[in-house]
Amino acid sequence: MISASQTGPASYIYAATRMRVRKSKLLAREDYIRLLNMGLPEITRFIEETEYKAEIDELAVSFSGIDLIEIGLSWNLANEYQRVLKILPGVMKTFARSYLSHWDIFNVLTILRGKSQGVKTGKIKEILIPAGTINVVTLDRLLAEDSPERIVENLSSWILHPVLEREFAAAQESGSYAGMENELYKAFYRYVLKQTVSGIKGGKPFREYLQLEIDLTNIKTVIRLYQGGVREDVRDLMIEGGNFSVDELVRLAGSESIEEIMEGVKKYYPSGPVANLMEVGGDGEFALHEMENALTQVMLDKMDRISKRYPFSICSTMVYLKRKRYEVANLRAIARGKESGLSGEQIQGYLVM
Amino acid sequence: MALKDVKPTRSELINLKKKIKLSERGYNILKMKRDGLILEFFKVLEEAKGSRDAIGEKYARAQGIIAIANTVEGSIGVKAAAMSVREKPELTLKKKNIMGVVVPEIEATKVKKDLAERGYGVLGTSAVIDETASAFEELVDEIIRAAEIETTMKRLLNEIESTKRRVNALEFKVIPELKEASAFIKMRLDEMERDELVRLKKIKAKSKA
Repeated sequence: MISASQTGPASYIYAATRMRVRKSKLLAREDYIRLLNMGLPEITRFIEETEYKAEIDELAVSFSGIDLIEIGLSWNLANEYQRVLKILPGVMKTFARSYLSHWDIFNVLTILRGKSQGVKTGKIKEILIPAGTINVVTLDRLLAEDSPERIVENLSSWILHPVLEREFAAAQESGSYAGMENELYKAFYRYVLKQTVSGIKGGKPFREYLQLEIDLTNIKTVIRLYQGGVREDVRDLMIEGGNFSVDELVRLAGSESIEEIMEGVKKYYPSGPVANLMEVGGDGEFALHEMENALTQVMLDKMDRISKRYPFSICSTMVYLKRKRYEVANLRAIARGKESGLSGEQIQGYLVM
Repeated sequence: MALKDVKPTRSELINLKKKIKLSERGYNILKMKRDGLILEFFKVLEEAKGSRDAIGEKYARAQGIIAIANTVEGSIGVKAAAMSVREKPELTLKKKNIMGVVVPEIEATKVKKDLAERGYGVLGTSAVIDETASAFEELVDEIIRAAEIETTMKRLLNEIESTKRRVNALEFKVIPELKEASAFIKMRLDEMERDELVRLKKIKAKSKA
């Protein structure tokens, strides 16, 4: 009975309605424009008067200033994701959890790197964002461990543990977790792609979105590798599952010029926002991080479109999770940007609205 | 050298003349060394000026880009990426000789790294982290270059100063004193010669009478 109610249309309608209400509470474009014209104290006050109050109040004992804002925002994101997971019934929860597990990768690697560098536990904890499937208690337990080996052992129930276990020895030997990190992200995408065909409503359109996300991540990687002068051993850095095959991506990464890469991308995206971005990117009008921002905007727009087309599906939940993430990123960007003395116009260029 | 300590003998005069010659030769060599060092110093000074400007420029760029990184990724993202770096730059100190002055030659490795060597995963970070890492690597590289140039400049300056002191000591103290002593001995020897002449004349006159 329970499983029927958790997989039937009612659960999707229920979840979609709750997510739509939450989404409506997110800051609007006008709010960001208003924030861009404020000073740092006003921004702090604005944040304290919104959904973030509880976390800011809680953390005010340990942090102050811009660090309080940033950590407060991150903790709010983590708490909000956990609240959303509690609301979601059955397969929707499983699906959302799978997508949120990329935060686990960030947290696990931060702990491993911090421990192997001899960073104090408190300092590592400040950097963690417990927005994934590994909860705060588990993260604390991992932080209490001294050796990276014990940390890996303690993660035996984590969905990506097999990859972690497989790659760990090589990472320890080479002294760098970069390869392991890349493998974990690739495994993450494989896992989420698999979840989209698990019978979840909206799985197919979300799969299309995910393929776009994989494509854009691969395009960013190709451009970064080109700009970083890396031409060899790029195969391992490409995520499978998108529209581009790994061979094509490797060929693109070996391009002689940035224009060649852009032209290669345009073969798959001959029109639309991606093609337009490749056009201006090829002209050298964008710094790479600006292009990344524009590509993120393309992803969010796609997500918005599919959530409108499939309102009572997992897509409405996923779009909220994404939008919430970028609200936090935008607020942090405004606060950090103001603190660093960047102009409002400059900061606006880094916002995803 | 006090004149009272000078023995007014012919051998002493010969010694003094040798010393004067040696001092004058040393003086000329040291003067040439000083001028050479000054020339070298001005060359290094130009490099140092360029290097200081480059440091200022690269520091401003690094600060600008880390401000953007903090804005885009947050300090959390930047700190997490920074934790990935395991390999620290290695410096090898060698010695170089500029006109007898030993100056350091610093060889740095593992300062500038490519994307694959930095230790963070490409898929979990963004391009702004690459740009930040690259900007700071360039800054560290320039600081190491500046350290070499500025140490060279400092050592050259010290050497110029001590050479200048030696040149001045030779020009205004040692050589004049030696010359004075030599003139004194010459005068004393002449006087003694005249004494001897007068004495001989007197003896001759006495013996005639």
